[in-house]
Amino acid sequence: MAQTYLQNTSEQTAALKALKKRRWGGAAPYLFIFPWIFGFVVFTLGPLLFSLVISFFDWPIVGKVTFIGIDNYVEMFSNDPLFWKSLFVTLKFAALFVPLNIVVALGLAMLLNQKVKGSAIFRTAFYLLCHLRRGACMIWSWVYSGDYGILNYFLSVLGIQGPDWLNDTNWSLVAMVVASLWGQGSMMLIFLAGLKGIPKDLYESASIDGAGKVRQFLSVTIPMITPTILFNLITSIIAAFQQLTLALLLTGGGPLKSTYFYAMYMYENAFKYYKMGYSAANAWFMFLIVLTLTFLVFKSSEAWVFYEGEMKKNPQKKLKASRRGRS
Amino acid sequence: MKKVVAYALLIVFSLLFIAPLFWAVTTALKSQQELYLFPPKWIPSVWKFSNFAEAWNIQPFNLFLKNTLLVTVLSTLGQLISCTLVAYGFARFQFKGRDFLFLVVLATMMIPWEVTMIPQYMEFNYLGWINTLKPLIVPSWFGSAYYIFLLRQFIMTLPRELDEAATIDGASKMTVLLRIIVPLMGPSLILVSVFQFMGCWNDYLGPLIFLNDQTKYTLTLGLSQFKGMYGVDMQSIMAITCLISIPPLAIFFFAQRYIVGGIATTGIKG
Amino acid sequence: MKKRISLIVLATTLMASMLSACGGNDENAGTANQESGSSNQTKTLRFATWDTGDALKIEQDIAKNFETEHPGTKVQVEAYADGFDQKLAAGFGAGNPPDVMYMWDFPTYHQSLEPLDSFADKDQELKIDDFYKGLFNYGKIDDKLYGIPAGFTTRVVYYNKKLFDAAGVPYPKDGWQWSEFQDIAKKLTDKSKKQYGFGARAENDTYDLQGFVWSNGGSFISPDGKTIEGYMNSKETAEAIQMFGDMVKNGSAVLTGGKGQQSGDDIFKGGKIAMWESGIWPLESFKQAGIDVGTVEIPAFPDKPVKGVLAESALSIAKDSKQKDLAWEFVKYYVSNESIKMRVADLPVRQSVVNELKKDQDPLYKPYYSMLERSDNTPAFLLNPKWNEVNRQLSAAVEAVMHGSNAQEVLDQAVKDSQRYLK
Repeated sequence: MAQTYLQNTSEQTAALKALKKRRWGGAAPYLFIFPWIFGFVVFTLGPLLFSLVISFFDWPIVGKVTFIGIDNYVEMFSNDPLFWKSLFVTLKFAALFVPLNIVVALGLAMLLNQKVKGSAIFRTAFYLLCHLRRGACMIWSWVYSGDYGILNYFLSVLGIQGPDWLNDTNWSLVAMVVASLWGQGSMMLIFLAGLKGIPKDLYESASIDGAGKVRQFLSVTIPMITPTILFNLITSIIAAFQQLTLALLLTGGGPLKSTYFYAMYMYENAFKYYKMGYSAANAWFMFLIVLTLTFLVFKSSEAWVFYEGEMKKNPQKKLKASRRGRS
Repeated sequence: MKKVVAYALLIVFSLLFIAPLFWAVTTALKSQQELYLFPPKWIPSVWKFSNFAEAWNIQPFNLFLKNTLLVTVLSTLGQLISCTLVAYGFARFQFKGRDFLFLVVLATMMIPWEVTMIPQYMEFNYLGWINTLKPLIVPSWFGSAYYIFLLRQFIMTLPRELDEAATIDGASKMTVLLRIIVPLMGPSLILVSVFQFMGCWNDYLGPLIFLNDQTKYTLTLGLSQFKGMYGVDMQSIMAITCLISIPPLAIFFFAQRYIVGGIATTGIKG
Repeated sequence: MKKRISLIVLATTLMASMLSACGGNDENAGTANQESGSSNQTKTLRFATWDTGDALKIEQDIAKNFETEHPGTKVQVEAYADGFDQKLAAGFGAGNPPDVMYMWDFPTYHQSLEPLDSFADKDQELKIDDFYKGLFNYGKIDDKLYGIPAGFTTRVVYYNKKLFDAAGVPYPKDGWQWSEFQDIAKKLTDKSKKQYGFGARAENDTYDLQGFVWSNGGSFISPDGKTIEGYMNSKETAEAIQMFGDMVKNGSAVLTGGKGQQSGDDIFKGGKIAMWESGIWPLESFKQAGIDVGTVEIPAFPDKPVKGVLAESALSIAKDSKQKDLAWEFVKYYVSNESIKMRVADLPVRQSVVNELKKDQDPLYKPYYSMLERSDNTPAFLLNPKWNEVNRQLSAAVEAVMHGSNAQEVLDQAVKDSQRYLK
C-alpha cells in the first residue's frame, strides 16, 4: 500500500490497462459464480416468481384462489391506512436506526481496536448479545417494563422517574431502536476486521506529515474502510426494513401502532389474516423500495468507496491531496 | 491517561452488554418464588442449579444438540466453500452481466421471507425434503448473498499485483484463488464462519417451518417449547438460553483473535 | 484448458461432498413422508399441538398410550408452540398438513378441515351426551361439525389473598358487582409499593372482552351477524370497555404489557396486582410462584345477568389427511375419560370426569363451571366470516381506550371504518 500510495499516476494507468485485458476471464468467472446461479434458480427464483404471481390473486391459504388483477395493489395504496402507517413507522425507524447503527458499530469497533490487555474478553462481551437474539427479546421485556423493569429501577436509583418504555407512544420506537442496536455485534466485528486491515504505515506517514488524530481518522481511517461502510450501510438498510422479530416478540406493533413496522404489517396480513396474495403485494412493494435504495447507494459508492484492488482514482487523489495539504 | 479512558469505556460498555446475560443466568437459577419480585433480586437466595438439568431433560435436548451440530457444521462448511468461489468470481473478473448479477445477489437479501416461505415449503415438499434437515443444509452450499457480498468487499481490498504476478508465472485462476487469495482472506473467512455458525445455531424460523418431528428438532425449536400460546416458562427459557449460548461463545472467544489478527496485506507489501 | 478442468473437478467434488453430506442424515430422516401406504410398514399419524412444557409432555404420553393400543401406529406429536399459525399456513398452503391438529379458529380453517358429523353420529364410543352442552357449538360452521372439544376454559377473577388480608379487605364472593370490584381495586392500590388493584391489558383480545360486553347487555355484532352499527358502538358496549380505561386513568389498574412483555400473569406472580382476570391457563403457575390465590366469578353490572365467554380448544382432522379413520380413532382416544384425566392443565370436557374428580366441588375450580353455565352467547367471530377485518378496527379502538381515548368516540370510528368489509 505504501508504494501504491506514492506511485506515479501515469504509471498506474498504464498498468491498469494491461491488467484489464487479463481480467476478462472467458468462461472462468461464470464457473466461479455458478454455485450461486444454480442455487438462485433452484431455491430462490421459483418462490420469488410464485409470490409475484399470487400478488395478483386472492389467496386465503385455505379455500379458493381467485384472480383479482391489480386489486391488491389498488387496495394497498388507496384503501388501507395501515399500509401508510406501517410504511411511515418503518421509514422513521430506518432514519434513526441506519445512521446510529453505523456510528455505534464503528465507535465500538474503534474502542475495541485499542491496544489493551484482556481485549479478547471485551470483544466477547461486546458480541455476547447479538447471538442471543431470541432469548434477548425476552430479556428486553424485563429491561423496559415500566414499574418493574430493570432500566427504570436503575433510573429510580438515580432519582429519575422513567417512562413505561414499551407502553408509551413517545418512547416505544426509541426503545426498539436501542434494542436493535444492541443486537448488531456482527456489524461491529466487520468494522473491527476492516480497521485491523488498515496498514500501520499509513498512520505513520500521516503523523509524520503532522496530521492530528482527527485528521488521521478523516483522511486515513474513513477512506480505507469505505468498502466496509458500504457493506454495513446496505445491510443496515435491509435490516431496518425487515425488522420484525423484536416487534413481534416485544410489542406486537403497539402501543397504538407506534412500532407497527412494515414487515409486521406484511406478517400479519399473511399469518394472522391469511391474505397471502395481499401480503405478497405488500412484499413486492417493499422489495422495490429497498432495491431502489440499495441501487442508489451502490451507484453512489463509485464516488466514495475506495477499493485498493481496483485502484480507484478519487480516494487516491484525496489521500494525496490531504497529504499535500499537510506538508 | 488515554489508556485509562479507553479502559473505563470498555468496562462500562462491557457491563452494559453483560448485564442482560447476567440477568438471564440469575433468572435461570432462581426459585419460582423469587422470579417475579420487585425490586429485582440480583442474587438468588438459593442457587437452584437443578433448574438447568431439569430444563435440559424435559425434552430430548441431547438429540436437539446433535441435530443442531449437524446442520451448523455442514452449512458453515458449505457457505465457506461456495461463497469464496462466488465472491472471487465477482471481485476479480469482468464479465458480461457482472454488475447486474451482483445487484441480483444483493436483491436476494431483500426478499421478505413472509412471501417466499410458502412456495419454498411447497418446493421442498415436492422434493420430499420436509421434515429432514436438508432444507437447512443444502441451500448453504450455493452461497448466501450476505457472505458473498462480505467476501467480495474483502477480496476487493486486496492488492491485485499479487494475483497478477502469479498469473504471469502461469498459475491458473483456481491456483491463484487457493494459493494467493484464500490465505489472505483468513480473517474474513473466520468472520463468515462465525456468522454462519451463530446464524445457523440460532435460526428459529427455518427449523420451525421445515421440521415436524421432534426427533429432527434443533435447539432453538426445543427452546421454543417453553413458550406456548398460553404461558411462558421463564426459568427454563433462561436456563436453556444460557446453556446453548456456551458453544457459540466459546467458538467466538477462540475465533476472535484471528478475525482481528489483521489482514495480511501489510505484512506482504510493507 | 487445464484451468477449466480443475474448476470442473472442483465443482463436481463440491456437489458430491454436498450430496453425501446430506445422504448422511437420510438414514435418520426416516418417516419423513407417509405417502408409502404399504401395509406392513408402521403408519405415522401426525398430530399438531400448540401446547408446550408440561402440557406437551402429557400429550406425548397420551400419544404413546395410543401407540400401545394400536400396534403398528406411530403418533408423531408436532409441537408448533407459538409458531402454530405459520406452520398450519405452510402445511395447508402446500397441501401437507398434519392429520390431526388442535383448532379453535374454525371460521378461518373450516374449508380445509374434514366435517366430523358422520364420524360422530356413527360412533357410539364417543358418548356425545357426556360432553358439556354447548361445547359443540364452537366447532360448527354452517351446521357442520369440524372439531371435537378437547378442552375449554371460562374466565374468572383471580385474587391474591395475602394482599386482601394485609389491607383488611374481605375476599370477593360470587355475585359481586363491578362497583364493588372498582372500590376494592382502589383500596388495594398502593403506588409507593408499586402495587395495583387490577391489571388492565394494553392489548386486549377483543374475544375475551365479549363476556363483559354481554354482561352489560351489549354485543359487538347483531345476532344474525350482519350489523355492527348500534352494536359494536352501543352505549352498553362502550360503557363496559370504558370502565377499564377509567381504571387505568384513575390509577387503580396498571397497564400490563402485550405479548412478549412482562405480562399481567408475571406481575400477579410477583404479588404486585391484587386482582387479575383470565382463563385457567396461569392457575398452576400462580400456585408454583407461591401466591395464595383465590378465584371468583366475574362481577355483574347492576340488575343484569353476568355473562361469560368460553375459549375452547378442539381437535380437527385435515381434509387432505390420507388416514382419516385412524385420525378419528386418535381424536376419540384423546377425548376419552382416560386421556382427559391425564390432561390436568385443561378443564375436563366430560361431565362424568368432572363428577368423578369432584372438580366442581373444589372452591378453586367451581367458578369456572358456574361461569360455563353463563356462557351461552355466540362469539362474534362465529357470526361473520369477515370478522377478522372488523376485529382489526375494533382491537385498535379498544387499545386506544386503554391509552386514554373515549370509548364511544373510537368505537363509532371503528364502526365507520369497518362498514366496507360488511358489504
